[in-house]
Amino acid sequence: MSTAVAIHEEAHVPQPKQVGRPGGFLRRTNFLTALISGVVTAGVFWVVTDKITTAVAGAGATNSMALPSGLNINITMMYIGWVIGFMAGIGAFAGPIRWFLGHDLTHADAEYMAGKDMGREKFWKFTTDHKVVGIQYLVVTLILFGFGGLLAMLIRTELGATWTEVFNPNFYNSIIGTHGIVMVIAMIIVISGPIGNFIVPIMCGARDMAFPRLNALSIWLLVAAVPPLVSNLLMGGIRDGWTVYQPLADQAPIGMIGYQICIITFAFSTGIASVNLITTIVRMRAAGMTWSRTPILVYGILGSSIMGLVWFPMYQYSQILALSDRTLLTSFFVPASGGSVWLYENLFWLLGHPEVYVIVIPATAGMLEYLPVFVRKPLFSYRLAVAGIFGVVGLSAVVWVHHMYMTGWAPQSNYPFMLSTEMISIPFSFLVLVVLGTMWRGKPWKRLPMMAVYAVVWNKVIGGITGVFLSDTPVDQYMHGSMFVVAHFHYMLMGAGLFGAMGVTAYFFPKMIGRYLDEFWGSVGFWTAFAGFQVTFMSMFVAGLQGMPRRVLQFDSLFNISNWISTIGAYIIGIGMLIFLYAIIESWRNGIPAPDNPWGGKTLENFTTTPVPHENFPVLPVVTSGPYDFGTPDPYELADDAIMQQTEGAEKVSAQS
Amino acid sequence: MHLVKEWLQRPYVRRILWITVAITAVIIALSFVMVAFMNQSGGPASSIMDEIEKTMFVLTIACAPLMAATLAVLTYSWWGGWGSVAATDAPTEDGPGIKTNGVAVVTWITICSLLAGFLVVWGLVELATITSSSYGSVPANQQPNSVKPVDVNVTAQQWLWSFEYPDSGKITSSVLVLPVNVPAYFNVTSLDVVHSFWVVEEGVKIDANPGAITNTGFTPTKLGTFNVRCAELCGLHHAYMETQVKVVTQEQFNSWIREQGGNKTS
Repeated sequence: MSTAVAIHEEAHVPQPKQVGRPGGFLRRTNFLTALISGVVTAGVFWVVTDKITTAVAGAGATNSMALPSGLNINITMMYIGWVIGFMAGIGAFAGPIRWFLGHDLTHADAEYMAGKDMGREKFWKFTTDHKVVGIQYLVVTLILFGFGGLLAMLIRTELGATWTEVFNPNFYNSIIGTHGIVMVIAMIIVISGPIGNFIVPIMCGARDMAFPRLNALSIWLLVAAVPPLVSNLLMGGIRDGWTVYQPLADQAPIGMIGYQICIITFAFSTGIASVNLITTIVRMRAAGMTWSRTPILVYGILGSSIMGLVWFPMYQYSQILALSDRTLLTSFFVPASGGSVWLYENLFWLLGHPEVYVIVIPATAGMLEYLPVFVRKPLFSYRLAVAGIFGVVGLSAVVWVHHMYMTGWAPQSNYPFMLSTEMISIPFSFLVLVVLGTMWRGKPWKRLPMMAVYAVVWNKVIGGITGVFLSDTPVDQYMHGSMFVVAHFHYMLMGAGLFGAMGVTAYFFPKMIGRYLDEFWGSVGFWTAFAGFQVTFMSMFVAGLQGMPRRVLQFDSLFNISNWISTIGAYIIGIGMLIFLYAIIESWRNGIPAPDNPWGGKTLENFTTTPVPHENFPVLPVVTSGPYDFGTPDPYELADDAIMQQTEGAEKVSAQS
Repeated sequence: MHLVKEWLQRPYVRRILWITVAITAVIIALSFVMVAFMNQSGGPASSIMDEIEKTMFVLTIACAPLMAATLAVLTYSWWGGWGSVAATDAPTEDGPGIKTNGVAVVTWITICSLLAGFLVVWGLVELATITSSSYGSVPANQQPNSVKPVDVNVTAQQWLWSFEYPDSGKITSSVLVLPVNVPAYFNVTSLDVVHSFWVVEEGVKIDANPGAITNTGFTPTKLGTFNVRCAELCGLHHAYMETQVKVVTQEQFNSWIREQGGNKTS
C-alpha cells in the first residue's frame, strides 16, 4: 500500500506549465519542412559566405596564401548550412530552445513527440519513440543499400566490359569511392539501427531508449548526412576510393567536401546512437535480467556500440583535419608543407579496422540470438560467446596497422601487429564453437533465418582463411592492394555482415512489422544473391591471385576471364537482392500476420503483443530465467549415467567377489 | 579415454569425421590451385616470391582440418543428419538441452590457440626471412652480400614510374632492367601522391610516399619480363600506371647501361 501512496503523492509534484498545444513547434515540422529549411539555409550560407570572402579579397588581402580558395569555403559553408537548416527544420532544436525560453517539456509534449495516437505521419517527423526510429532506420538502410548496390552494378559493368572504357576515369573512380562509403555506412547501421533501436529496448524490458530525443537526433543526423555524400557525384566526384588517402584527396574536386561533411555528421550520429544504446543496455534492463540472463544480441550491440563510440572520433578528426587542409590551407596531411600522409592513414585505420567488427559483431550476435530458437536447444556455452564478443572488442583496438604493412611507415611494427591480428582469430573461434555447439544434434527448423546461418558460416570460413593469409605480412606483401583484398572483405562485410543482417531482419521482421517475411520469395531472393555472391567473389579471389590491382578500370588481358565471371555473378546478386526487396515490400503490405511470439522464442520481445503497443509493456516484466532455456534432458548423458552406474555396479560386484 | 572412445563410436561423430577428412583433402588440393594462379604470369621470380608461396601452402594446410571440421558440422546439420523440421511445419519438441561441455570448450580453445600460435610464429620467421632477402632498411653500401647490389632510385608520379641508376651515372629509364642473380636495392619515393611499387612476380611491394623514401629489394632469380604495377589508388589513370621489369644476364645489363650512356657498369 505504501508504494501506491508514494506514487499518489508524486502526482502532486507541480508539473511544468503547458505552453501552447502539446508538441508546440514540433506540430508544424516534418521531413518536408526540413528539406525546405535545409535547402534555404544552405543557400543563405552560400550567399553570405560568398559576400564575405569576396569582401575580404577586395579589401586587399595582399598575400594570396592567406586567402583560401573561395569556392572550397563556400561549398563547405553551404553543406554546413544544409545540415543545420535540415536539423532545425525537422525540429531537432525545439527542446533546447524551449528550455532556454523557460518552457520545460510537459508530459503531454513528450507523448506528442513519441507519436502517441499519431498515424503514419509520425514516420516523417522528429519522433522519439524507439519503434518509429527503428523503422526509419530500416527504410534508410534499404535506400542506402539500393543506391550502393546500383553503383556496384555499374562498377562490375565497367570491369566486365574489358574491351572498352564504359565510364570516364573520373566517374569510375568516384563510383568506387561512393559505393564503398555508402555501403560501409549502410552496414554499420543495418543491425544497430533497425534492430538495435526497435528490438533491443524491448528485449531489455524497457519502455523506450534511455535518451529518446537523442535517438531521434541520431536518425535525422544520418538523413542529413547522406545528401552531401551523394551530391559529390554531381560536383566532380570523390575519385579516391572510400579511404580518400591524402594528399590525393586534396587534389579532388569539390565533391570531396560532401564526403567530409557526411563523415563528420555521421560520426555525430553514430556517437549519439552508441551512447544511447550503451546507457539503455547497462542501466535499463528489466528487473532480474542479470548479466547472465541478458540475450546475446544485446551483448553484441553493446560491444559494437562501445567500438563505435571509442573509434569513430578518429575518423571524424581525420576528415576535420582534411577539410581544414582544403579550406583553411593548413597542412596536416600535405607533405610539401611538412604534413604527413602516414598521420592520415593511421587516423583513418584506427576506425577503419574496428569498423569491420562494428559491422560483423552485431550480425553474428543476431544469429546466435535466434539459432537456439530454430534448433530448440540452449545456446551452447553462452559465457564463451560473451567472452568471444568482448575479446574481439578488446583486440580490435590494436590491429589497425595491418592495413599499413606496406606503407613503409614503420616496418618494425609489422611484427607486433601481425601477432595481434592473428590473435583476434581466437575470440572469433569462440563464436564459431558456439554456433557449431548449438547446431550439434539439434533438428534445424528450415526457415529462412536458420538457412541464413548456414550461408553465413560458410562465408565466414572463407573470409576467415583468406583473412589468415592477409594478416600474414609476407603473404600480404603480394596481396595488399589487389583484388584478393576486395574479395576478402566482401566475404566478411557482405558475406557475413549483410547476409547475416538479412537473416536477422527476417527473424525480427514479424515483430517489427507485424507480418512474416514471405518465406518463398525471401528464400528465392536470398539464395539467388548467395549463389551470385559465390560466383562473383570466388572469381575475384582468382583475379587477385593472378595479380590484378584493385580500383582499376582497365587491366591486363590475363584477368579477363575472371572478371567476366565476376560480372555475371554480380548481376545475379542484383537480381537476388531485387527479389528479396520485393519480398520485404510485399510482406510489409500483405504478409501473413504474426502472433505475439512469432517463432517460439523466450526473450522478452516475445512476451508483449504484436504489434508492440505504445511504451512496449502494459506492466514492466520481471526476468526469472535465462533467455535460451530450451531443451530436454540429454539422452546421451542419461546413457552415460547408466553406463557409469553399471560400471560402478560392476566394480562393486567385483570388489565384493 | 573411455569417454573419447564412446564418443567416437557414435554414428554421427564418425560421419562428421569422414566429411572432415574429405573436405580437408579438397582444401589441400585447392591450395595447389591457388599457387598455380599466382604463377600464371611467370612467377615465382625471386626467393621472396618462393617464400610467399610456401607460406600460402603452410597456412592453408595448417588451417585446413579446422575449417573442414567447421564445414563438416555445418554440412551434417544442413543435410538433416540429426533430422530437421520442414519450413511449413513448426517444431514440436525440444532438442537435447546441452548448455555447455567443458571438454569440448577446452579442447577447442586449446586447438585454436595452438593453431594461431603456430601461424604467428611461422609468420614472424617468414617476415624476418623476407626482410633480410629484401635488405630491410640497411643501405645498399652496407649490405653484407659478396656481390655489390644494383642501386635503383624509383620515383613514382601521376601516372608513371621512372628508374634511376645512380651507380652508372645519371641513367633514367621507364622500364626497370635488372641483372639476374644480382641483388637489387630500391629507394622509393613519390613526387605527388601515394603510389605503391609492386613488382608482381618478384613478390615485392612498398608504398611510394611523397616526402619520404622507403626501401625494399630482391634478387631476381629468373630471366624474363615481369610486371610492375601501382597498387595504391593514385588518381584518374591509376589503372594505366604500369611498366615492366626485364631481368637479363649481367652482359646484357652492362651493354644496356652503355647504350643508355652510362659511364660505369656495376
